[in-house]
Amino acid sequence: MATITCREFLSYLEPWMEGERPQDAQAHVRTCPNCSSVIKDLEMIHVEARSWSASERDAPERVWTALRAQLEQEGLIRETIPASVDRAQTAAPRAGWFAGLFPRLPRPVLAGAYLAALVAVAFALSGPVNKRVNEARWLKGTQTSTSPLSAQLNFAEQNSNSYVTRSNPVVAASLHQNLAIVDNYIALCEKSVSEEPQNEVARDYLYEAYQQKADLLTQMTERGENVQ
Amino acid sequence: MSSSHFVPAQWLPKSNWKTAGLLVPSLLLCSVVSAAPRRQEQHFKVAAHPVITIHNPNGLITVKAWTKSEVMVISTPASDRIEVDAEQMGNRVDVSTRELSDSVAPDDMRADFQINVPEDAELQIHNDAGNVSVANVLGDMNVETVAAGVDLEDAAGYLSVKTVGGSFTCIRCAGRIEASSISGNFRLLNLRSYHVWAQTSSGNILFNGEFLPNGTYSLKNYSGVIEVRFSPGDSFDLSATSLKGKVNNEAKLTPSPHQRHFMPRWGNALFGTFNEGRAKIEMTSFDGTINILKRD
Repeated sequence: MATITCREFLSYLEPWMEGERPQDAQAHVRTCPNCSSVIKDLEMIHVEARSWSASERDAPERVWTALRAQLEQEGLIRETIPASVDRAQTAAPRAGWFAGLFPRLPRPVLAGAYLAALVAVAFALSGPVNKRVNEARWLKGTQTSTSPLSAQLNFAEQNSNSYVTRSNPVVAASLHQNLAIVDNYIALCEKSVSEEPQNEVARDYLYEAYQQKADLLTQMTERGENVQ
Repeated sequence: MSSSHFVPAQWLPKSNWKTAGLLVPSLLLCSVVSAAPRRQEQHFKVAAHPVITIHNPNGLITVKAWTKSEVMVISTPASDRIEVDAEQMGNRVDVSTRELSDSVAPDDMRADFQINVPEDAELQIHNDAGNVSVANVLGDMNVETVAAGVDLEDAAGYLSVKTVGGSFTCIRCAGRIEASSISGNFRLLNLRSYHVWAQTSSGNILFNGEFLPNGTYSLKNYSGVIEVRFSPGDSFDLSATSLKGKVNNEAKLTPSPHQRHFMPRWGNALFGTFNEGRAKIEMTSFDGTINILKRD
């Protein structure tokens, strides 16, 4: 029987995986360890892909609808339905749009791609939602930690102001001027944090500004007490 | 003060102008002498590594090192309503200004000091307004002010400076430097320090000194300008981040072989290595500008 070369066997590979196995190809696989190994690997991948496909249920309708809407919204796809197309066909756009996308791909590849698409869709859909949820969570966390601090500092500021007016005018002026600077930074940092709640640099600067204000008020109070 | 020089005309006998001519200058002289600043000089023998503490509300404080094992305190109060206390407790000399009455005007609460200390002295200085100047002292130092500027020259040891609005200048300093302020400007010139940590909110920071091997240099502000000068022979790893401002760089940096930096998601950032990357420089600003410039 005439045997084939490894290079020639490559053209048999796809039919082989579909179950068409000519005798010369079988003979080659029996005698060629390299091609035999490739076949074994492909079969393993095929089996694995099947198990993935079997374990994954079809994505719910809302996933496809949301995906489609998202892609259309971002201008990545556009629904172009010719006027002549029957309305019955437009009632099932998913089948026409998605099924037509991969008609010739081998099933294992399709299964893998399908899984990857699922993950991508999950990320794509959960991303904006998670972002909003996370941002809200960050913002709430920051506000929760800074609101009582802010209230306490404002209260301390009222007392400190009455203290410091009795000290050296140069010192009092410097303290008031720098307190205004810190207050301004707090306002700017709070604005940044509200715009980008997950911006850790802005949050660090905000906390530092609060710390500075606390230090400054302590100094003002100490000096006021010394003057008294 | 000027009111004490005035002698009402009705007190003078009209017939005796000669007497008045003698009396008025005498009275004036007496009042001037009594109101003149009372310069006071005190000496304290100390052992090695003495500690000198100074608490003053307002005034010029000048501290210089000398070779004697002695602390000399020359104080000049601005008025007789305050008093300068200088006393020795073991190897520590405490200098402080205190009021002699309850109602002292802020302008009267001022005293100037000229203090000489051994080179290895440790200093703790609190001076709200005026200025603090220290030269050639190699011991640890802690200086706190509100509006007073702080000038250090040829200092070493652990230098800690904290101001509210006062500026800070450090020339030819060595050792470890930590400085913080809200609106004070920092000028760190010709340093030979292995550790510098400087943070000011609205002030500018200028660093023009050596980057010692294994040294760490951290400069941070909120707004204002952070400027670092480098020479071709310097060797450092650099990280510069301004959240809302600019980073201008003249150094040819290469990717750091020592550490992997992740580009931050926010702001403008620059990371890299200059020569072997022996020192570590970190500069951070919120909306200020960071300049990394060649030394002239």
